[in-house]
This record gives sequence, C-alpha cells and structure tokens, in this order.
Amino acid sequence: MKNNLILEVRNLNVELGGEKILEDLSFDLGNKEILVILGPNGAGKSVLLRTLLGLHSFTGQIQWQENVHIAYVPESFDVSPGLPLSVKEFFQFKKTDSQKIIKSLQCVGIMGFSKFLEKRLGTLSSGQLRRALIAWALVDKPDVILLDEPMVGIDIHGRETIYDSLVKFWQKKNQTIILVSHEIGEVCKKANKVLALNKRKLFYGKPKEIITPQNLAKIYGSTISV
Amino acid sequence: MEVQFLYSLITGFFIGGVAGYLGSLMITKRMALVGDALGHAALPGIALALIHEFNVSWGAFPALALGIFLIWLFEIKTKLPMEALTGIVFTASVAIAFLFLPEEKVSTALIGDISQVGFWDTFISIILCIITWLILRRIFSKIILANLSENLAKVEHVEVEKYNFIYLSCIAIVVALGIKVTGSLLMGALVITPAAAARNFSRNLYQYSYGALLIGSLSSVIGIIAFNFFVFPAGPLIILSAFLIFLISLGFKSK
Repeated sequence: MKNNLILEVRNLNVELGGEKILEDLSFDLGNKEILVILGPNGAGKSVLLRTLLGLHSFTGQIQWQENVHIAYVPESFDVSPGLPLSVKEFFQFKKTDSQKIIKSLQCVGIMGFSKFLEKRLGTLSSGQLRRALIAWALVDKPDVILLDEPMVGIDIHGRETIYDSLVKFWQKKNQTIILVSHEIGEVCKKANKVLALNKRKLFYGKPKEIITPQNLAKIYGSTISV
Repeated sequence: MEVQFLYSLITGFFIGGVAGYLGSLMITKRMALVGDALGHAALPGIALALIHEFNVSWGAFPALALGIFLIWLFEIKTKLPMEALTGIVFTASVAIAFLFLPEEKVSTALIGDISQVGFWDTFISIILCIITWLILRRIFSKIILANLSENLAKVEHVEVEKYNFIYLSCIAIVVALGIKVTGSLLMGALVITPAAAARNFSRNLYQYSYGALLIGSLSSVIGIIAFNFFVFPAGPLIILSAFLIFLISLGFKSK
C-alpha cells in the first residue's frame, strides 16, 4: 500500500443471497480526503460501505492503513420511544466525557446540551436523531468516518448548517470521510473525489470532472441539472 | 427470627435482584417470554433433583443447557424461527418431566419452595448472583448497542456473537437459580414483571436497570415475609408482590 493512502480497494466483488451486488470495483483514498459515493437506488452504495467496514464477505482486496480508527453512521437507525435510554447514556457507550460530547454536538448544530442529553434517544425527532448519530460518530475522534445518507430526515437549512460545521471540523481534525449521498450539489463541492456507482464503477475522479449533466444522466438514467 | 427464614430471605433478595436486572435486558431485546420457556425446559432436571433430593438449581442447569443446545442445533438444521423451536423444546421437556415427576412433588416443581434452603444453598446462590450480576453489568451497554444496531456495534469492535453467548449463559444461570424461588411455572414472571414495572418508573437506562434490580429484590423480600405470615407458598406471593408494584408503576408511567 502506497504511503499517504488510507484505503486501497482492488477488484472488489460482493455477492449477497446469490445476487451480485458489486463487481470488480477498484479505487483508493488518501489521508484527509473526502470521497462521495453517488448512484441510483440499489446501486450497492450502502453495501459498499458495509463491506469496507468488514460487515459483508467479499472477494478482492480491501486494505486499510494500519490501526486506523473508523466510525460509521448507518442509513437506518430506529430506536423504540419506549426504551429508557438517554442521549447521554448513548454517548457514554463510547466511554467519553461530557466536554467531548458537547463539542461533537456543537459540530452538528445542537445547542441546549443539558436538556438534550437528558432526553430519551427514542423520543428525538428523526432530524435530531440523525444529528445525534453523526455527533456520536465524531465523539471519539475517528481517523475515518463512513456516513450512509447522513442527512435523511434533516431539513434543507439544517443540512447546510451541518455540512458547513462538519467540513470545518473535518478540515481541523484531518479526518478522512466517505459519504454516501443522493445530494449532488452542496456535498460534491466539498469532496476531493467522487465515485459514481451502479454495481460497477461508472465514474471516478474529481467532482468537477464527474458532475456534468451528461454523466449524471448516465448515472441516474435521466437528465438532472446541478 | 428463624435461621431458615433468614436464609430464604437472603436467597430471595439476591436472586430476585439479579433476575430483575437481567429482565431489563431481556425486555429490551424482546425476549421476555424466553425466561418462561426456559423455566419449563428445566423441568426434567428439576424432577430428577426432587426425586433424588438434591438442589433443584443443580438439576435445572444441565437441563437448561441441553434445552438451549437443542434449540441452537434445530435452528441450524431447520432454519425455523427460534420461537417455534423454543416452543417445541420446552413443551417436550414438560412432557418428559411429567413421565417421572412424582405427584407429591408437582407443586414444588411448578411454583418453587424456598423454605427449604440451607446455609450452603444460600451461600452459593449469593456468590453466583453477584458474579452473574457483575458479568451482566459489564456486557449491558454492549448488548443494548448491538440491539440498537448490530452493524454499529460491530464497527465499535463489539463481538456480538460472543456477548450474546455470554448473555444466554447468564439467562440459563439466573433461570436455574430462580426456579428454586418461584418454580418452573412462575420463573418467567420473576424476570419480566420487576423490569416491566421499572420501565414505567424510569427515564433512563440506569434507573431502568437498577430499578428492576431493586423491585426484583423487594418483591422477593415482601413475598417471603408474607409467606411467613400466611399459609400460601412463597413463589406465588413473590410474583404477586411484583405484580402489585407493576400496578403501582402504571400511575408513574413517564409520558
């Protein structure tokens, strides 16, 4: 593995329940880079993230830098409103202190910490829950964060605030980010690389080169303007 | 105060507490009825213990281990849902037990008899309860996280299969211990009812798990004290005490 690379993927194939989900995928990611993964529904984006995390079996090669600390924000995360688990206790699963929790909540635009931390996790709105989940991923300062559609359930204004504060945070902390998203606009501007996927690699490169109306039509199967 | 009564009280206090604490995890994992089913699966072992007059918990534990092993094995072989296989194994266990369980011992097997515990029974129960509680306390947050999202837990390096195995072993130990207090028929309630009541009282996980532990201990103590005054057996009195606390908790249910 080359220096400065945090992740190297070569000829990755994933099969689930007899169906090929990912075929012959190769890409790499440098330290402190932001990679956005685009693709239509069912393209295998979430499966790719989970495979990178070691949650699915695969053939080919996935090589992470040694001793890399990875955090994950899954696409779906449901908590029963009846579960008496406070936000603070959820954060304490990571054996972290209050200062760190408050800092990471600030990054996702949550104020009024003391009240928020006492709330039950299951009673948060879907937007608040997503923010809490992103903050949870950030709290123990991972080297790499994998986020799967992190902004689902968050309004447009909220998305901008969160992305802005996250990007600042990432730049300051030198974190590497892999982000699965349907949003082509704001997100991609902040990325170093874009991987467009539909089981196989469609496009891979800098956002400016990839995000063109012609390419987007190929990725999503219809004309999309940015 | 009679020494025998004191032994019963102490044994009930510890077993009730750890059963309540475990129950808070079992309700969260939607495994509330597993305690009930396993209580029944232990019956052949209880029957053997009653016939040969040794501690029912020592009889129950191997029967439980065998029951869990069979459920696990059938699941691999058939891929049928776990609850269906649990149903098959526990009813078969009850049927086997009734082939040789003497009639005069039926009541003890089904609703327990804590009035006969001796010094060593009490001592060993206390040690096992403390060890099991310490293990459960250690795995508690990991089990809850894995229950919220198995993928998230795995990314956080929680060895989910290992912790589930430890958790199942703790259930087997607590059920084996609890059978002595409330018998095979009522064991499920000793796990579920205190935790369900605590859930109504609590706002967070700490209050929930320790509330369940306290209510479990308290129900056992109230039940055993009531048993000393009335002619009714202790097992049902303990469960009714827990049920009474559950009814009171309904008034406190946090919105």
